[in-house]
Amino acid sequence: MTDLLSIGAAGVRAFQAALAQVGDNVANADTPGYVRRSLRITTGPAGAGTPLSRDVGSGAGVVAGDITRASNALAANSARVAAGDQARFAARSDWLERLQTAVTGSDLDARMGGFFDAGTDLAAAPTSTAARTIFLARTEQVTSAFHGLGTGLAALADDIAGAVDAATTSVNAITSALGRVNTELRRTQSGGAAANGLLDSRDQMLAELAQYVRISVTESDRGAVTVRLGTGGAAALLVDTDGTAVRIGVRDGASGAEIVLDPTHAATAVRLPASGTLTGLVEAARQVAAARTEIDAIATGFGTAVNVWHSVGTDALGDPGGVLVTTRDISTTPGRANAGAAAIAVTIADDRLLAPDGYTLRRDAAGWTLARVDGTASITGSGTLVLDGVSVRAGVGAREGDSWTLATQSGAAGLGVRAIGPARLAVADRFLADAAATNSGDGHIALATDPTAAAFAPAPPYRVTVTAAGIGLITDIATGTTLAAITFDGTPVTAAGFTFTLTGTPAIGDSFRILTAGAGSSDNGNARGLADVRRAIGPAGTMEAAFDATLAGIGAGLAETRRLQATAQAVKDDAALANDSISGVDLDREAADLTRLQVAYRANAQVMAAARDMFDTMLAVFR
Amino acid sequence: MTQVNTRAAHQAATARMGDISRQLDSVQAQISRAKRIDSPADDPVAFARAAVLHREQAAVAATQRGIDAANRRLTATDTALASVGELVQRGRELALAGNTATLSASDRLTIATEVHELEEQLRTLADSRDSDGQRLFGGAISDRPAYGVDADGVTRWQGGGRAPALTIGNGSVASGSEGPDVFGVTDAIAGTRDLFAAFTALRAALTEPDADLRSAAMAVGIGDFDTHVTRLANARGTLGSRLDRLDSESDRIAKAKLATEGDLSKLESLDMPEAIARLQRLITVMEAAQASFVKITSLSLWDHLR
Repeated sequence: MTDLLSIGAAGVRAFQAALAQVGDNVANADTPGYVRRSLRITTGPAGAGTPLSRDVGSGAGVVAGDITRASNALAANSARVAAGDQARFAARSDWLERLQTAVTGSDLDARMGGFFDAGTDLAAAPTSTAARTIFLARTEQVTSAFHGLGTGLAALADDIAGAVDAATTSVNAITSALGRVNTELRRTQSGGAAANGLLDSRDQMLAELAQYVRISVTESDRGAVTVRLGTGGAAALLVDTDGTAVRIGVRDGASGAEIVLDPTHAATAVRLPASGTLTGLVEAARQVAAARTEIDAIATGFGTAVNVWHSVGTDALGDPGGVLVTTRDISTTPGRANAGAAAIAVTIADDRLLAPDGYTLRRDAAGWTLARVDGTASITGSGTLVLDGVSVRAGVGAREGDSWTLATQSGAAGLGVRAIGPARLAVADRFLADAAATNSGDGHIALATDPTAAAFAPAPPYRVTVTAAGIGLITDIATGTTLAAITFDGTPVTAAGFTFTLTGTPAIGDSFRILTAGAGSSDNGNARGLADVRRAIGPAGTMEAAFDATLAGIGAGLAETRRLQATAQAVKDDAALANDSISGVDLDREAADLTRLQVAYRANAQVMAAARDMFDTMLAVFR
Repeated sequence: MTQVNTRAAHQAATARMGDISRQLDSVQAQISRAKRIDSPADDPVAFARAAVLHREQAAVAATQRGIDAANRRLTATDTALASVGELVQRGRELALAGNTATLSASDRLTIATEVHELEEQLRTLADSRDSDGQRLFGGAISDRPAYGVDADGVTRWQGGGRAPALTIGNGSVASGSEGPDVFGVTDAIAGTRDLFAAFTALRAALTEPDADLRSAAMAVGIGDFDTHVTRLANARGTLGSRLDRLDSESDRIAKAKLATEGDLSKLESLDMPEAIARLQRLITVMEAAQASFVKITSLSLWDHLR
């Protein structure tokens, strides 16, 4: 009878614990990372009726066993991997989206076209100040588009580097926390509430870590885990069961950004993991770097070609065209510790090579010092300092010890327009040629400005007269003196600053004039030459085609990433659902369990009541 | 055993609805822009092709502006040449009239005065400018009159080079005529006189007192004028053929523009009925998803526990 009472009491205790567990599950139904728990109820140990075991003949009773977590390591792992895949493509598509917006938003395509079209308009109205002003404005627009895009992409690369830093910081924080959880787990009794709580937070950390990098997890005794970066036998160890964790970092490698282990001590590069936000970020950083290289190449090609084009022409004042666009720029950054507030004005001379590493400007007791960063040259003084054609003038208000960094910018960010007036635009060719109206042959002279000519000296007007088949004379028209006898064999004849070729079949006695296009010429030869710059084929086609290709490449990369992301999202949802269906809380099921356990609890209480009744009956018999 | 986890089921349902509302948003954006492509990622190949076509359109518009400018200049040149032609005709008539032996010296003086007037008009016409202020007959030199009188009192061409050309395709069309081609060249060896010299010579012949010398000079003058009439006709013929070339180029550009626009609309335009049908379908799906979500999530065993 007392056995029956104790059996009933054991049942009541067990089901009370089970009911408490159901209550716990319901309470945590919406807790992220909570794994549904259930109480394992086992038959009590039976034996020889000692205080520790019940007598076999009188029933076994029940004991509340371990609290088990409804988790499945395989399902949890595939959910982690799928989430990591999705995170990789989400990060990549986010940043590629920004890259695409930056590149399309620069409107460079339309502005380059507008620049060349303004050249066509200029050829149609070579002396029109309006057409020249518009052309200069379009030049300014295209260079500012390049400049804006160059600085925008540099800022984007910086932003990605910041995101990468944040991601590695998170990874390192998670791995060190996992190390501590491992230590805790090794000294916690399994099956208890404390151990289960630790396992929950361990699983949550693993899931969080897998969002950043691809990991492989091996579980050992009592739930301590070994975490490796990537998969396979050679995968690098991140967290060991003894609680040690290895830090990771990201640095600029030979082929762009790469992930390294133990960045502060013995940095070793590892292969890019196959999934995770960090992978997506590194991939995006590489793609942005590639786009920057391409756009810088287009910008440099544009600046060089436009300057070469402009310098072979003659402006409205009769002078040779000079540099139209600047291809280098200097950005000034004040030192972080500057106490003063002096303004710095920097100008760069044309045609000077700047030090690629840039310059530093310092203020100390001796005055101002402008030095190359690599230390190969410096200049000290007051007032305007000039080094390598870089003139620096500092305003008032500097304190001793203040410094500034002057970074050299080339490529797209270095592009700018020189402030020149409309009259300084070289629309005309330097030299003009015409045939005498009395010529009876159909020969004509093709002129080309010789870009290698050291200097441009206005040449006197020349007359080329054909004296015999294939032979001619060059005379100075002003003085009538014969300068040279020449043969016409189809090869260019080189003269001061130009070359010319006589084509067609001139008759003997035909003559041609070669003049310099002076001030106020209405010639449009050089403006028409801009069409050749536009059509010039580079390694990636014309400049505009190269830009289109860059843009299409970015677009294709983004479209592919979006497709991958959509697939990864579906896989992630499925895997998460599969994992949640094992470890998550289903309220309906808990309600059903609750009713079942309540009934069992009541039944056990009834058993105790029956035992008491039996006891009372027996007592009544003996009374 | 599979079970539906309450939290996961909620999240899956809301994610599905979020996906539908994203699709709705993108269709709505396409409809309001009436464009299929907004960014390179929407269709990289079509975007690159459309960029080329847009550029082509802009370039063709610039070429058309160049053709219009050349057209204006050539038309202005033609008008000036028509007036010059009238002057030459009148000069020839005066030469024939002055060649009559019965005319008195004062009659010839009257004719010489008119010839002088014609000469002055010719000078004005020779320095004509187009609507942009460029000299029509100066070639590529525009900062001084096309013709000027030198120290010897002889009128000479002061221009140089060729008139600005217009690049069309791989070729180019000169947008004007140079002075010597229109007014001729004075060349003592070849025995040619330009139009200015012809007028001056006619004036001199009319005032020549000796009848024989006068008659001989007048004959030469009439011959000169015949040559100039032919040259002017040729020059105008050349201008006409250039204008024709510009016209046919304009036609070609108009056709090419139409074709480009057609291509662009094929690449970029949205199939409106299809898009609206898609929008309607998505709205229906969205409404059904919301209704079923509310219905299903309101079902719970807990309601029946007493």
